[in-house]
Amino acid sequence: MFSYQKRLQYPVNIKKKDLRLAKYLVTQYGGANGELAAALRYLNQRFTMPDNKGKALLTDIGTEELAHIEMLETMIYQLMKDATLEEIKEAGLDTHYAEHAKALFPTDASGVPFTTTYFATTGDPLADLSEDMAAEQKARAVYENLIDLTDDPDVIGPLLWLRQREIVHYARFKELFEYYEKKQNDNSNKPGNDIMFANSMENNQLPNNMKNNQAFSNQQPFDAEYLNNIFKNIDLNRNYIRGLEQKNSIFI
Amino acid sequence: MNYNYYRNSSNLFNPEEGYNLGNMFADLYKGYKNYKPAKLTGRTPEEKSFLELSRIGFAMHEMNLYLDLHPEDRTIQQLFNDYRKMFLELEEKYEQNYGPITITSDTLEKSPFAWVKDEWPWEGGRNV
Repeated sequence: MFSYQKRLQYPVNIKKKDLRLAKYLVTQYGGANGELAAALRYLNQRFTMPDNKGKALLTDIGTEELAHIEMLETMIYQLMKDATLEEIKEAGLDTHYAEHAKALFPTDASGVPFTTTYFATTGDPLADLSEDMAAEQKARAVYENLIDLTDDPDVIGPLLWLRQREIVHYARFKELFEYYEKKQNDNSNKPGNDIMFANSMENNQLPNNMKNNQAFSNQQPFDAEYLNNIFKNIDLNRNYIRGLEQKNSIFI
Repeated sequence: MNYNYYRNSSNLFNPEEGYNLGNMFADLYKGYKNYKPAKLTGRTPEEKSFLELSRIGFAMHEMNLYLDLHPEDRTIQQLFNDYRKMFLELEEKYEQNYGPITITSDTLEKSPFAWVKDEWPWEGGRNV
């Protein structure tokens, strides 16, 4: 199930109304490469991912996309809320107004309503993840187009941030895709083994490793430089947290 | 398994930088043209404590996505543990001072029901 947090994932505070921009931005809400399509795509595909890594990643990214929908909705709402009827007509949003007044409705930039044909589920993890990688790249490109179309820093801030999330999600999907692809190739080289994930992660993985205190086992090649780097970063992050704990002044 | 990935991902931003950028992993970061991400700051004590909550919550979420694919990575697990503890602490303190964020908050025990009291995020409430 899902539960709501009464906060945005990243702040949206747009002070200047801009109907033209609202008309463009709506495509990242209800258009082909928008956040609504992304959320539904991952939250449907996750059921047929072959192992728990895939199910976890698609669940968690799909959930984050719900928070991105909320950010886009907030941006469109704030850009439109103070508009007069004249301004709405002038911006070509009268066709939206006829049906929805100033309410939100998922469409693309030309007003075409959201449709489930924007995403697919095939039951094949490599096919689905290829689509997910493409979707993240397309959404990144659209965010860049939208950034080009405005000079309002209140709008550019959240758009840059959402664009960066597409980059992170793309990298995670790509990693999962390559992991499955390798697994499939390894399995198909063994005679008589035609089941894609015969020896899936659930059977041989985690808890034992961790219980036996062998997470730093010979599965991963470590060298001194790598270890130094990683501990340095841990220290930096720990210091940040400690600083927060001491700085009680942030609370009344 | 791509081991180079482990190596690169040791380059983490701290939660303040990471939240501004929308990315905790320096090796994954890609900017757009000459645009600089906004430097988020809080003015009031409420804004400051809310911003800290958002930063730590974001850092925790980024470790979460990474751990989905590398559940055996103890280093990132440790960071996730730190952020999670800090997040719960910040959330509880924020809620006690300024109102509920989740429906399981202790602050919802009193009447009148505080869930309906504060501004919603799209109206400018809790939006630093």
